[in-house]
Amino acid sequence: MSTIRIEHITKKFGDNVIIRDFCAEFEDGKFITFLGASGCGKTTMLRMLAGFEKPDSGEIHIGDRLVSGEGVFVPPEKRGIGMVFQSYAVWPHLNVFDNVAYPLKLMKIPNDEIRKRVMETLDIVHIAEYAKRMPSELSGGQQQRVALGRALAAEPNLLLLDEPLSNLDAKLREEMRYEIKEIHKRLKITVVYVTHDQSEAMTMSDVIYVINEGAIEQAGSPVEIYGNPKQGFVSEFLGRINLLSGEACDGKLKLCDTESSMECDARFSGKTMVAIRPDDIYAISEDGRFVQICSK
Amino acid sequence: MLTKQKSEKFTPDVKWLFILGIVAFLLVFQVFPLLYLVFRAFFGEGHFSFDSFKRIYSYPLNWQCLKNTLITSTFTMIFGVCIAIPLAWLVGRTNLHGRRFFRTIFVTTYMVPPYVGAMAWLRLLNPTVGTLNVFLKNLLGLKSMPFNIYSVGGLIWVLTTFYYPYAFITISRAMENMDPSLEESSRISGASPLKTLFNVTLKLMLPSIVAAALLVFVAAASCYGIPSIIGAPGKIYTVTTRIVDYVYVGSKEGLSDATSLAVFLMALAFLILYISEFAVGKRDYITVSGKSVRPATVDLGKWRIPLTILVSIFAFIIVGLPFATVFATSFTVNMGKSIFAKGNFTLKYWGIITSRRTIIKSSLNSVAAAALAATFGIIVCIIMAYLLKRTRARGRQIPDFLITVGSGTPSVVIALALIMTMSGRFGISIYNTMAIMIIAYMIKYMLMGMRTVVSGLSQLSLDLEEAAQICGAGWLRRLKDVLLPLVLPSVVAGWFLIFMPCFYELTMSNLLYSDKTKTLGVELYLYQTYHSQQTAAALAGGILIVVTILNLALYKLTKGKFSI
Repeated sequence: MSTIRIEHITKKFGDNVIIRDFCAEFEDGKFITFLGASGCGKTTMLRMLAGFEKPDSGEIHIGDRLVSGEGVFVPPEKRGIGMVFQSYAVWPHLNVFDNVAYPLKLMKIPNDEIRKRVMETLDIVHIAEYAKRMPSELSGGQQQRVALGRALAAEPNLLLLDEPLSNLDAKLREEMRYEIKEIHKRLKITVVYVTHDQSEAMTMSDVIYVINEGAIEQAGSPVEIYGNPKQGFVSEFLGRINLLSGEACDGKLKLCDTESSMECDARFSGKTMVAIRPDDIYAISEDGRFVQICSK
Repeated sequence: MLTKQKSEKFTPDVKWLFILGIVAFLLVFQVFPLLYLVFRAFFGEGHFSFDSFKRIYSYPLNWQCLKNTLITSTFTMIFGVCIAIPLAWLVGRTNLHGRRFFRTIFVTTYMVPPYVGAMAWLRLLNPTVGTLNVFLKNLLGLKSMPFNIYSVGGLIWVLTTFYYPYAFITISRAMENMDPSLEESSRISGASPLKTLFNVTLKLMLPSIVAAALLVFVAAASCYGIPSIIGAPGKIYTVTTRIVDYVYVGSKEGLSDATSLAVFLMALAFLILYISEFAVGKRDYITVSGKSVRPATVDLGKWRIPLTILVSIFAFIIVGLPFATVFATSFTVNMGKSIFAKGNFTLKYWGIITSRRTIIKSSLNSVAAAALAATFGIIVCIIMAYLLKRTRARGRQIPDFLITVGSGTPSVVIALALIMTMSGRFGISIYNTMAIMIIAYMIKYMLMGMRTVVSGLSQLSLDLEEAAQICGAGWLRRLKDVLLPLVLPSVVAGWFLIFMPCFYELTMSNLLYSDKTKTLGVELYLYQTYHSQQTAAALAGGILIVVTILNLALYKLTKGKFSI
């Protein structure tokens, strides 16, 4: 089904290397997130999965089908993927129903079948009552749902989402986050989600790929990445964190400018950076209980 | 897997076919004729020589018309810009009363054929019976008529009233797109609004003002309608009228002189086109930022009412008076008397233009030629705009460049070049047919459509097409389902923008028409010059009504996004 294998993908724009030697394998039905700052190459990688960009080298397999590789390139319209664009890209000249029906029409499905499936899809994204509205009469959040519906209508095995929530206000963002997650659970399709927002990545993903300068810095579940971030970029990028300088010596780690110290691995010694998650800091209350100061 | 390989090889081929087809068309009907004109100017005698150019200087009549063109164009440029800057500022950036109304009024003149203005001012400022002359003479108790339209000054006056809108449109666009923070930072630094206007606003707009000035200059220099109607009776010849006279004479020396004059005019136009499009035009973007914030409006304070009155008077003189005159003329029996005199009102001339068979035939010719030029033109524009904005096909800028050059070429030059090359000498004989007119119209006016479609396409995000692609739609399907419906308003607008100037075109038609292909512009010109000014006025009135209706339709159809 839609296991996705990305092998040694490299992409350059002129002399600019956007993606370097990207290798990954996504299990079927998982919610995958590419997380990184803007310009890190995450969107380019997504667009290569969709087929809008052609890799300079490497292979992409969707399911057991080679879609991109040496001498092979399947154009986007033949890949059978659903995609939601950052700008929604809802066609302003078609009403909600026709927008969502479009991929089905292209599949030459009979009209009453289309009608049934579109209404089902609109139900899933909760805009069934707006079927006859034009996009200009909808709010940003509703347009987002149309885009989502259109991407889901053809029942693709793979759904790509390119920063879908970045144009919504905070409250709607929260709501849509929940909704996308629900849809993922319900339809059990593979989702690749691109975002620069770490809380989105943390709450939604099964696997997060932290991307920096076109390469994978770290991959793992949210818990792994948050709890055990790789040094440097990932630990700074992910979650709130306190970075203090310290000095390790004989199994003791002393925080600079303080008298306090704590135990640490005896193999470490010398000056170092100490990264402390705020939610790992506990205060001891008067009755001796540990009280977490910040939650995740 | 094979699909993309196939389509990758296949698609560029189709694109190339389109590009080649359009480039071939432009090469044969635009580039070759123009080059041939240059060739003839230098190799007229079979060998290279400047002889034909020497004749321009040595033959006083030619020298005079050259001087007239340069003088009238220069003064039209100066006056036009001097009028356009304060008007653009008042209408665009102040709290003047009725700004939107005035904007519409000033822009409207742009779509009116210039010869209509010439006809009106001829009536108003005729040195013996001009209505305005008589009025002013009586009012001020003068001994003689204050103005004579049959003079270089008269020519400059009419040219200015018809070509300042070019400057007005360019300058007001730049003024309204200005990033307000540039001015605000000047204010916060302690400059008064007026100081800011002169030190920041106008200086930042200098490129636009230069471009606008050049545009007016070249438009005035290429104009044929106004000097032919005003200049001819006053024996004031310009390069354009001289060229047309030579072509009518048809002698060998005449054609050779016409060629040299045309090459001179063409060189002038191209030089200016180069400066404004490629040198100044690029700098235009500096003052224009992408922010949607509208620049602040200046409170005119106690000057608000006086200035509004001043602008109203100006609008009345420049627009109201001439249009009213044309309509009044069309209802007048005896032009020596006022239209309000007893028995001097008639509907006869409107009867003539709606019933006389030759006039109806000419109108149908005009509609047909303009519609065909607009249709073929817009098809070329759509293909070119798509290639330009949506593909990376090599050579896609060539047709765009050629279309720009074609529109910058003076009409007289295009027509002369087509006559010289398309009369059978090179295997193509379309002289005296409607085809040659349609081709001339396309070369001259396609740019308007091109710009409109390109800007419509630029506003469409690529996402919309990619969304269709990921849904499974191929190249053609995307074009049909997404792109075309969304650019349709620009396409319709572009069609009208090509159609309208072709519909009332005079200059090229006047050189290219035959008995069977006479157009409305030619008909009007012949009536004005030889037969009946009232019939001509009725025709002009009819043209004004049609153009106004078309423009309103365009405005409604595209929901206000487009209209001239």
